[in-house]
Amino acid sequence: MEETRIATHEDVSILLDRASQGDRQAFKNIVGLYQQKVFLLAYSILGHREDALDVVQETFMRLYQKLDAYEKDRNFQAWLLQIAKNLSIDYYRKHREKRREMESLRSVEELQLAADDHRSDPESPGLRHVISRNIERLGERQRLIFVMKHLNGLEYREIAQVLGISVGTVKSLHFKAVRNLRNWLSPELGMQP
Amino acid sequence: MNKCRGKKPDLLAYVGGEMSDRDREDIRRHIEACPACADEVRELERLLEGADSLGREMRQVLAGIDWDAQAEKVVSAVWDRGPRPLGKPRGVRPWLPALPFGPVLAGLLIGILVGAAAMFFVLRDGTLRKTPAEAFFASGEFLSRVDQEIARRETLDYLEKSQYVLLELAQTQTESGECRLSEAATLKTRELLSKKKYLNPQLEKARMAKAKAICDQIEILFYELAQISESLTPAQCRGIQNLIEERNILLKIKLLKKELQESEV
Repeated sequence: MEETRIATHEDVSILLDRASQGDRQAFKNIVGLYQQKVFLLAYSILGHREDALDVVQETFMRLYQKLDAYEKDRNFQAWLLQIAKNLSIDYYRKHREKRREMESLRSVEELQLAADDHRSDPESPGLRHVISRNIERLGERQRLIFVMKHLNGLEYREIAQVLGISVGTVKSLHFKAVRNLRNWLSPELGMQP
Repeated sequence: MNKCRGKKPDLLAYVGGEMSDRDREDIRRHIEACPACADEVRELERLLEGADSLGREMRQVLAGIDWDAQAEKVVSAVWDRGPRPLGKPRGVRPWLPALPFGPVLAGLLIGILVGAAAMFFVLRDGTLRKTPAEAFFASGEFLSRVDQEIARRETLDYLEKSQYVLLELAQTQTESGECRLSEAATLKTRELLSKKKYLNPQLEKARMAKAKAICDQIEILFYELAQISESLTPAQCRGIQNLIEERNILLKIKLLKKELQESEV
């Protein structure tokens, strides 16, 4: 994977400089380095492959437009993910109504099946579906932090950089997100709330 | 449901493996003794396992994408959109060198400009300008009383000093037949002569004819004294003393002083 070829901050800075001067290959290298991380973030927010790919493309378009605005002493990954996060949220809000309509078209039987087959195995598609639906119920910041932590595998420090808040706030919001999910999921999963 | 009876530990950090081995061991011992926390740990583990399985599902989606082709597609889309807008390189300000504490200085500059603008408008409107004091109006009667009072005080002062000089003159006769005024009295005589010139218009203005008449007599005496040398001959001295006695000048001074003191405005 391209990720293993270039990793250091200095190399990224050089690539960014070259890209800002119109070097297509340098820009492609940047895309190759970070597109999967951007995709994971967008996918965890939007839950839809094609939508997430749209956001990936839009994120790098935005990056190209704003190359001059990047400050070299900043964490580039956090800055890029910040752009991706904002675009994903915009996308999510813009298409919220469409998503609700699609959800309402799902048959009751389908939902019942999903609810039935998760109880024995936490790896079951049913459990994943229930968790996924309940993550949607979380507040925006709690949802973002939960997915970045558990689905994207980011550290608290990295999440704090992406969201522009303190690590303490991230930890606090993460705790609240888990508490909420536990309360909501407990009856379906046979837990004690 | 059982409840944790001790201080509830951070079970989320325990399940997430985000604590030191020592803290982890402490919590493990607590869980062994606390059924409520043990239940909660199991619930959290199942919840986070479910979340992790979502993550694994996501990574499966990730693996199903041709990222090289995707990168090419993204770059093509970016390049097809057209050239990048030419932005000004950051930190290059030909008119101002890059300064530390940029936001602070910018805030300060804005504050100064806003303050200057505010002062401009305030001063233009004249809000801070002192309103000129209203013209002082006094009635003619009041002014004439002021003149009279000034004249009274000046006259009293003149009479006091004259009385002092004349008394000294009356008492300075020596056995040798020569009388001599002290230097202070001589100076005072000259001073009183000049003061009388200043006092005349005041007495006329205040219509103090009687006082003016007495002051005129004193002035004549002083005028003669000034014309004679400091050292008087016995005849000169006696002449002046006679004049004082004949005209009862000291008595008149005394009476006039009393009258003026009683007529204070």
